[in-house]
Amino acid sequence: MIVVKNLEKYYKIAKRDPGLRGAVKSLFHRKYETKKAVKRISMHIESGEMVGYIGANGAGKSTTIKMLTGILTPTSGEVKVNGIIPYENRKQNASHIGAVFGQRTQLFWDIPVRESYELLKHIYEIPQKQYEETLAEFVEVLHLEPLLGIPVRQLSLGQKMRCELAAAFLHRPKVVYLDEPTIGLDVAVKVRIRNFIKQMNARYGTTVLLTTHDMQDIEEICHRIIIIDDGSVIYDGSIQDIKAQFGDKRVIQFELEHSIDHFVLPEEIRSAAVVIPKTDEDHHVVSVSFSSKEISGAEVISCMMKHYPVLDLTIADAKIETIVEEIYSKGLKGRVQHEEIH
Amino acid sequence: MRKYIEFARVQMQVHAAYSAWFWANTFSVLLRMLVIYFFWKAVYSSRTEIEGLPFDSMITYIIIAMFLQMFVSGVGRELAHTIKDGNVAIELMRPYHLITRLIAMDIGDKIIHFIRGALPLGILAFIFMDITLPTTWQGGLLFLLSALMGIWIGTFFDLLIAILAFWTINLWGLEVMKEAVISFFSGALVPLILFPEWFQTVSLFLPFQAMVYVPVAIYTGILTGTEAWLALGSQVFWAVLLFVLLRVLWSIAIKKVTIFGG
Repeated sequence: MIVVKNLEKYYKIAKRDPGLRGAVKSLFHRKYETKKAVKRISMHIESGEMVGYIGANGAGKSTTIKMLTGILTPTSGEVKVNGIIPYENRKQNASHIGAVFGQRTQLFWDIPVRESYELLKHIYEIPQKQYEETLAEFVEVLHLEPLLGIPVRQLSLGQKMRCELAAAFLHRPKVVYLDEPTIGLDVAVKVRIRNFIKQMNARYGTTVLLTTHDMQDIEEICHRIIIIDDGSVIYDGSIQDIKAQFGDKRVIQFELEHSIDHFVLPEEIRSAAVVIPKTDEDHHVVSVSFSSKEISGAEVISCMMKHYPVLDLTIADAKIETIVEEIYSKGLKGRVQHEEIH
Repeated sequence: MRKYIEFARVQMQVHAAYSAWFWANTFSVLLRMLVIYFFWKAVYSSRTEIEGLPFDSMITYIIIAMFLQMFVSGVGRELAHTIKDGNVAIELMRPYHLITRLIAMDIGDKIIHFIRGALPLGILAFIFMDITLPTTWQGGLLFLLSALMGIWIGTFFDLLIAILAFWTINLWGLEVMKEAVISFFSGALVPLILFPEWFQTVSLFLPFQAMVYVPVAIYTGILTGTEAWLALGSQVFWAVLLFVLLRVLWSIAIKKVTIFGG
């Protein structure tokens, strides 16, 4: 369904010296810097697969999706969706795909939801009978009935996202790209949305490519994940595999009495454990990651308690979150199985 | 085609929903008509004609031009918005042509405007303000044709400016300037024959007079016979030229988006 071979996308960014002088200078003499957003990515996604496409911010996820939808032309490489080259036949490609971008609305702002769907019926040229059936089904699964008469701009975020999702699947597209579909939603809505996606996939065999930072989404929906970092694919395989590979990973979070600014791992465990770089601002919490094959959790804890005054600790096992977090921060270090697709 | 008709229909519906806005607008147009009427009444109190135009021709010109000017801008603002907030990317993912869609919505807009606004107010003006009918029925037909062309040209010009949003950071200044230039050069404020000779010559080579002046001058009989046909010819020329420019600029802009990512 989706075939991507050695796909690359470079951006030219105009470089400008700071200040007014720089602005004036850039009028006459522009320096360009090339940013490699996507570097030789290859992937092969079968019809009906549900794939999680994950990576840190700026890793190249959106750029890839934009090339798959046809709104970006690749610098080099091949991309085919459903046998169509998206950037060459944008309109043709458009009628077979659906998309949800968590940050942007695709419904029509001023008109009631039902009218929006009517309009989509005409845009995608959906036969009346099919449209009625699909809509009835969506209304039931996503509980849209009370929302149909309300203009989109008056909907809450959760309500809007449910409506967006229905809009993306309304024309029974072969491929749906979901970019952060559950961002900012409460648990109940998240669950409903995940169920809906799974149900669509089961019933219509819709291929789903999901980008998200919510690992729960990935674990519930996808069977396969592709991890991208700095424009390259660093992992492509099933969730089970990655769990098995990293199944011995443990992370223990220590809350210390003193600030961790000068924290170093105790000598005894330095060979077996690492400190996960911090993402938040809390200066009293340190996360130590290790493999349970090399060192036991008890050893790490007792060693830490010997050297530092520990207030509290939590132990996490091989959740996909911790694995991915570590892959982002360290890279796979030779564990990459690089598969070329021919 | 059907989807574009639906867009026009939905737009009409959206407009029908904003009734407070509608009444405010109607009221402001009414007020403007009154101001114009009494202003020109005062101007004519000491003379019978200006540049060969008697009062009723003048007031007819000014009022008709005022109505026509409401229709010569387009959905440029909408397009510029779509470009600025980046939603143009999403629009490109849909199986329709964005420009055609916007024009369809614009047509819907203008139809509802005409029916709810211009038509009743126009009838009022006819009854109470000494506005005359076209001098000949051929003139009337020609006016309709020419007015449609003028609206077309205004719409294209508007979209053309809006596409510049791809390159400029702030379009607001450009929009304001455009409005001012159009009001002045299109003959929407006063007939161009009131301006000096050289100004008329300059505006002859600009697209603006084709938006308002030409149709209204045909209506009031300022332009007749060969002159009228020539003016219509120049309108066709501008309509075609702007249409081609629009297409070219649009495809350049889209290339920029799809290759450079906006």
